[in-house]
Amino acid sequence: MIEALNIMKWPLVACLLLPGILVYLGMHIVRREIIFVDLALAQMAALGTCLAILLGHEADSWIAYCWSLGLTLIGAAIFTLTRDVKHRVPQEALIGIIYVVAAAAGLLLLSRNPEGNEELRRTLVGEVLLVRPIEVARTFALFLGVGIIHFMFRKQFLMISFDHEQAVREGISIRLWDFCFYVLFGLVVTSFVHIGGVLLVFSYLIIPAVCATFLADSISARLAIGWIAATAGGIIGLYMSFTRDLPTGAAIVCSLGILLLLAGITSAFRRRTDSKTI
Amino acid sequence: MKFNDAINTIVLTAALFFGFSSVIQAKLNVVTTTADFGALAREIGGDLVNISVLAKPTEDPHFVDAKPSYIAKLARADVLIEGGAELEMGWLPPLIDGSRNSKIALGKPGHVPCAEGLALLEVPATLDRSRGDIHAMGNPHFMTDPMNARHVAERIAAAFSAADADHNAAYRQKLDAFVKRLDEKLPAWEKEMAPFKGKRVVAYHNSWPYFAQRFGVKIDLFLEPKPGIPPTPANLASVQSDMKTQGVRVIIVEPYQNRKTAENVAQATGAAIVDVAQYPGGVKGTEGGYIELIDYLVKSIAKALKEKTDK
Repeated sequence: MIEALNIMKWPLVACLLLPGILVYLGMHIVRREIIFVDLALAQMAALGTCLAILLGHEADSWIAYCWSLGLTLIGAAIFTLTRDVKHRVPQEALIGIIYVVAAAAGLLLLSRNPEGNEELRRTLVGEVLLVRPIEVARTFALFLGVGIIHFMFRKQFLMISFDHEQAVREGISIRLWDFCFYVLFGLVVTSFVHIGGVLLVFSYLIIPAVCATFLADSISARLAIGWIAATAGGIIGLYMSFTRDLPTGAAIVCSLGILLLLAGITSAFRRRTDSKTI
Repeated sequence: MKFNDAINTIVLTAALFFGFSSVIQAKLNVVTTTADFGALAREIGGDLVNISVLAKPTEDPHFVDAKPSYIAKLARADVLIEGGAELEMGWLPPLIDGSRNSKIALGKPGHVPCAEGLALLEVPATLDRSRGDIHAMGNPHFMTDPMNARHVAERIAAAFSAADADHNAAYRQKLDAFVKRLDEKLPAWEKEMAPFKGKRVVAYHNSWPYFAQRFGVKIDLFLEPKPGIPPTPANLASVQSDMKTQGVRVIIVEPYQNRKTAENVAQATGAAIVDVAQYPGGVKGTEGGYIELIDYLVKSIAKALKEKTDK
């Protein structure tokens, strides 16, 4: 066990500290029914990195980070402006299109660059096993900042996601807060993609939130269940990865999937007993 | 989720770690990045060493997915044998960092970068990433030349002797036996390839300059436009027209390369595809070891060249 802790220490720290904000943002995403927005923003961020590489910068330099942040902001602006055209074109369609076009544009840009394939692969699967302590610290500081902003303006953020009509009635600037939401969301997704890859980000955002929706109604109860699910999924995944020697990110994703299955079964079982008592 | 299973695994892991480690400790723990170094380490270490090879012989050594066991193996290693020359640059350094094993840290005697001391080919005069996946220190696929393997075997024997002085004589003896076998084989290989001096062969990736230099063939047409960049229609067309005008009719493909591209080109030009590998076990019939691998490469390439020349 000492050996296991030595090897899995930093991945474990990352999986305990970082998903907290993802679970919370995931509840917004599930509620807004824009499940694939994280994939689209992550892909825009990757496209930014591709551009930076093409301009001759290293993939992990500051300039590359600014490029990927810039492209994420463009994505955020597009999503903000398209929320109202919901009735004519479903926003989910636009999200899908942005994802596919950004991915294809990345492939085109990097078709002439040998580092490209490596970078695109890393975007997808990440390297949570090899995460460096400084990366964990930096990302945690950023997530803490985002968390504080979300806590300070929780009324606005929760209202635009969970009670859109009320927000309109109260005269809250939906455009402004939507944009803020997407910018913060993009920051979080972009940073975590560098550590865990797209698959892991998606799972941490969506699976705990869906688990919680199965089992509870109030936001605070859902948040608690989501955090428990994320933590349990991370620990089980890391444990399975170590003992069975599996790729770490994929092991965590599958553990979260199994937890969701259990939550679904529990919920179905409870509903049946509820209907019997009635 | 089988809870009992999980408990059993914990207990078993603990038992393995605490119980048997004393038994294993008698042997030298050797980790190699690729199977060619693993095969040489087996020739020289024999029963005196435990060998773990990280990359599968069918895996591209430029891209290897990290798994927890790799760090565990590196943490226990007495000797780490790698190609160096940026072959494993993308994945090995963070694994070494993660293992926190000072014996195999960069510059320590337990860390053996085999490229050191070899005259590498294609060392670029200026480093320019736009020309493809160029390696600053030269082409790292040096093990396809048996004379380089001879040098690497000596390096490995020296590293084993340094880490385990008690068995110095045994390592020396095994090294001599291997070198003797290799030296006996070399003239036979050269004889088999001699009729094809100057013949051209197409490869997918530029991983064969050392083999080509040793055996006098030219492997200088590539399906990739630049090293590491997937084949483009324009490049394939230019390769095909070169093949037709110059009568080049053999394409070599490695396990992790896109065989379909090669098949299309072969069909268009009437060429034969030869499945090759740089690593013992990468192709059927090469599992025996390094000498068996070169045997296979020489025989299969010579056979294809012969068949396509006779016609």
